[in-house]
Amino acid sequence: MTEPLLELSGVKAGYGAIEVLHGVDLALRPGTLLALLGPNGGGKSTAMRVIAGLHPATGGEVRYAGRTVNGISAQDAARLGICSIPEGRGVFPNLTVRENLWAATGTGARLKDMEEKAYGRFPILGKRRDQLAGSLSGGEQQMLALSRALGTDPAVLLLDELSMGLAPKIVSEMYETVAELVAGGLSVLVAEQFARAVLPIADSAALMLHGRIAATGTPDEIEDRLAGDYLGG
Amino acid sequence: MTTFLTYTVLGLVLGAVYSIAASGLVLTYNTSGIFNFAHGAQAMFGTFLYWHFTQVWNWPTWLGLIAVIGVAGPVMGAALHALIMKGLRGTADVTKIIVTVAVLLGTVYLAQWIWNPDEARTIDMFFGAGAKVTLAGVTVRYHEIVCLVAAVAIAALLRVLFTRSRAGVVMRGSVDDPDLLRLNGHDPERAAMLSWALGSTLAVLAGVLVVPISGGAMDANMLTLLVIDAFAAAMFGRLRSLPRTFAGAMVLGLTVTYVLAYLPSAGTFTGNLRVSLPMIILFVVLVVLPQDRLRGAAVRTRERYRVPSVRSAAVWGAVLIAVVYLYSLLLPDAGVTAFALGMTFAIVALSLTVLTGYAGELNLAPLSFGAIGTIVAFHFGVTGEGLAARLNVQGVLLGVLVAAVVGGLVALPALRLRGLYLALATMAFGVFLSNMVLRDTTEHEWFGQRFTIFPDGSLVIPPLKAGPLDLRDGTAFLMTATVLFALLGIGLAALRNSGYGRRLAAMKDSPAATAMLGQSLVRLKLSVFMISAGIAGLGGVLMSSAHGTVSQETFTITGSLALLMLVVVAGIGYISGALFGGLIAGVGSAVLVSTFNDLALEHESMSSLYTAVGQLVLVGTALVGMGVGRNPSGFVHDVAEAYRSLRAAKPVLYGGGAAGAVLYVLALTDVIGTWTFAIAALCVLMLLPVIGKSVLEEKGRRETPLELLGIDEPYTDELRARLDRELGLPATVRKGGAGVPA
Amino acid sequence: MSLLETRGITVRFGGNTAVDDVSLTMAEGEITGLIGPNGAGKTTMFNTVTGLQRPASGRVLLDGTDITSLSPAKRARRGMARTFQRLELFLSLSVRDNVRVAGDVLRATARKRFDLDEETDRILERTGLTDIAGRDVSDVPIGRARVVEVARALMTSPRVLLLDEPASGQTEQETERFAEMLKGLAGDGLAICLVEHDLPLVMGLCSRIHVLDYGSLIASGTPQEIQESPEVIAAYIGTEEAT
Repeated sequence: MTEPLLELSGVKAGYGAIEVLHGVDLALRPGTLLALLGPNGGGKSTAMRVIAGLHPATGGEVRYAGRTVNGISAQDAARLGICSIPEGRGVFPNLTVRENLWAATGTGARLKDMEEKAYGRFPILGKRRDQLAGSLSGGEQQMLALSRALGTDPAVLLLDELSMGLAPKIVSEMYETVAELVAGGLSVLVAEQFARAVLPIADSAALMLHGRIAATGTPDEIEDRLAGDYLGG
Repeated sequence: MTTFLTYTVLGLVLGAVYSIAASGLVLTYNTSGIFNFAHGAQAMFGTFLYWHFTQVWNWPTWLGLIAVIGVAGPVMGAALHALIMKGLRGTADVTKIIVTVAVLLGTVYLAQWIWNPDEARTIDMFFGAGAKVTLAGVTVRYHEIVCLVAAVAIAALLRVLFTRSRAGVVMRGSVDDPDLLRLNGHDPERAAMLSWALGSTLAVLAGVLVVPISGGAMDANMLTLLVIDAFAAAMFGRLRSLPRTFAGAMVLGLTVTYVLAYLPSAGTFTGNLRVSLPMIILFVVLVVLPQDRLRGAAVRTRERYRVPSVRSAAVWGAVLIAVVYLYSLLLPDAGVTAFALGMTFAIVALSLTVLTGYAGELNLAPLSFGAIGTIVAFHFGVTGEGLAARLNVQGVLLGVLVAAVVGGLVALPALRLRGLYLALATMAFGVFLSNMVLRDTTEHEWFGQRFTIFPDGSLVIPPLKAGPLDLRDGTAFLMTATVLFALLGIGLAALRNSGYGRRLAAMKDSPAATAMLGQSLVRLKLSVFMISAGIAGLGGVLMSSAHGTVSQETFTITGSLALLMLVVVAGIGYISGALFGGLIAGVGSAVLVSTFNDLALEHESMSSLYTAVGQLVLVGTALVGMGVGRNPSGFVHDVAEAYRSLRAAKPVLYGGGAAGAVLYVLALTDVIGTWTFAIAALCVLMLLPVIGKSVLEEKGRRETPLELLGIDEPYTDELRARLDRELGLPATVRKGGAGVPA
Repeated sequence: MSLLETRGITVRFGGNTAVDDVSLTMAEGEITGLIGPNGAGKTTMFNTVTGLQRPASGRVLLDGTDITSLSPAKRARRGMARTFQRLELFLSLSVRDNVRVAGDVLRATARKRFDLDEETDRILERTGLTDIAGRDVSDVPIGRARVVEVARALMTSPRVLLLDEPASGQTEQETERFAEMLKGLAGDGLAICLVEHDLPLVMGLCSRIHVLDYGSLIASGTPQEIQESPEVIAAYIGTEEAT
């Protein structure tokens, strides 16, 4: 089996005195999609923030391509090729669509390429290029956020609650795009509360409960455990 | 027609300068969320530098300009961001405002230190005042053309920056979501630093341009306020839109100029109105501005205050009265008078405790409400003539009442607004009051009554006499002020512990949730603002009486800001914070500075050093204010917390008390001087928690396993004795262990 | 007869329509659910009903009276109470004072005279907060902090209680206890409306459910009807079966 591209071992993190992650182990292998599942408040978002460099780990190790990257700043993580789309909308509401893409060139991409790829994949964005991102619909905003992953050619993509606030039809469209990216060699870590949205395209899955990884395995294995563990039957 | 055109050109030129200053303000506000009250002070400092380069060092104009606009401006802004503003993310509005106010004060103090305010300085127009062209009968100076061109060019450049460059887009993005900017590979702090550098540069440019067109004379305070006038323009754009800010600046410039041109110039009215107009416009714009939607607490602030019970407040009030009395025995008459003045400041400071500490609202002009109280008391409360003149209680009460009512009237229109806007409204009121009312020396006639608000530009406020109590005597004054402070303090503690106080705390923490409990926020804010203004009025009357003679200078906005800053530094959530903040504002810095000045006079060889130290004290207080971002709860909080932990170390407390008593006796018997006593007592006060901590640590260390004693350290007789003791008396160990959780 | 009713509420933010012509009702003693994906307009609906948001058009009626133009405080005084999705607790007060201050407001607005301490204790008891009454509210874990918001709302003696995602952050046992408490409150005649993502909870608790999608009301009915509604399945639950 190949070396993991992104690996967490015993990662702890918290807010003030309250520890939220009590030692998380995860491994994302190159060119695969790992689904991180679990109910809200289980620590998924915190784990994602730690990997993205937005939140400090208080213990354990975050390894990226074999290198320990604890304490890395978010901007450095981005430049190393970790593209993170945070919970909610990963867009600047008061910038236009085009300006959002412009801001996304901070890791070295060119605006022209960004626009080409984004408008090519999501034609609606091309039509709205001079509209403020905040005035787009939820789905369009998520398309714009995802465009960053399309245009900046990252090595790892972190997606936090892509489905949030979106109609299921749009969610499946989004995940189709993600699946295409994975097929193109991108490694993706998806944190998702609604397991069914992402399990069909996942290569492996992990279940996170109360700041710990409760189980890892193939999507099928995890799906079987899900009903008992958090959907409540 | 020619006159009209001439004034229009002048108005546009003034508007141009305002627009440059205001865009800088909007810029920094948008990228860092900080409304920079120090903007005017930065402009002032840059302008003084420009004067120094071109007049003292005789650099050519172009070199001086490059030095201040190309180097000093950006460096000042970038340094401010890196050293201070960066640390303000996640702090309350109040903290942000106070820190920039501290920067304002510090910069002004520093400028007055470097450039002696008693010397006259002027800056000429670019190309000289004689360089001009005449178009259609209107004479326009080259300098004025420079102003207009600069304003238009800057507006255009900013537009290009924000929409046509990635750096500008990133700066706008940092307003929306700094974290997301990081995920995009940018450093939001770099964007913020760039905007501070740019904002500061624009301020400096505005300063250099504005001095010649407003007379040419340079004064640190005035120049600072001159640029603050641009706040009104920024408010036109709701602190966001640069085009609207530009338009607002032009409207402001034109209005101010037309007032000067077309209103009758007799008396002081028009001149005063012209100076006050920007603040009046600021007030009006604030009020008619579409109101922000009611929102929840956006930030979880770091400020934490403990609430004292009424009983402990009463005990501490009694302690305060006793301590002040004992201390007053040590002081010479002049000292008692100064102390009394400080105590009146502390009463004014209490108005800030209830308003800001309890209710989370801001008043930037507490002294102005003191001025209202003073004017009313002067007109309605003085009986007798000359040395026999006395202030009566009815006059004081009326002053308090009117101050409260005026407070309500000022606040009412702004109460729907967010904290920052209310703060700006009070500042506008404060500046307006010092410019219009406190300079109003002409006679008016209302309803057949002839009166002058501020005859001769100063008021003589005699001491209060209430029944047998005559405050002509310094000690009586001091003790009365102290008792009043104590009573008000106990009252405020009772208020905070009442249902009303809980409602205030609720409103401070979450306005939206409080409204959803059925509480009318406007009513609650209005009531607390009136209470606060009333207290400020009371303190103000007493303060004026302690001064004896007051003038416009007594109630400047800078004075109000300094008081507010010191109270926040001390701890605005605490009654003791008001005490220390007020005392330092009232006497502390003045006494310290004059002490150093006296020393300078006595020891001539060292005079420059002593003068410098005196100035340093002023700048130092402002520096402490800038540190508020790091410790928003104030130093009283830290001291109180330290003493709280001392409860476990009773002997240290007793020792401290004994040391204090010894010092006091020594001072009373003139073995040591009053100053030595004050400084030594302060040292004891500050050192006790440190000593206590080490004692407690020692105690803690004793809990280490006895069998390890002597292994890591030499086995001394003392240790052996201790081991014996511990082994023989295991009960001691248990007792010590149980003491920790308590 | 419905206690609270909205008629044709429309809310716009800029050019975006957040809520589009929504009419719904809540009745005394009934627990109503308001569900839909995030961003469907549920919280905006709550804000409009409670007066924190002005609608572009439409009316809100409480007990048959039009209250559309009333301030949040006045609506609260007429018996409307709510909790917030992003907690809005009074962080400088203790748990007990967070609840008590609602009574302070009630007394100050001169609507009622009662023993404040007794009433506070009763509410704390009823909501199961007595054990943490003295704690700083900022130290309370999120699941119980949500209950503090409910207790505070109850202290205003409301007739209508709007709960915005009250169970998120609660543990399973906390949610169970919470559901029991809500049933009891409804039994006392309170009209409760629940915005919640925990569908099993909503289905088990509510007698009627309204479904919002993209700001429009796409279905109203019993849990049974909602689970069978083709529109709801298509738009909200997707192609998967209803949980």
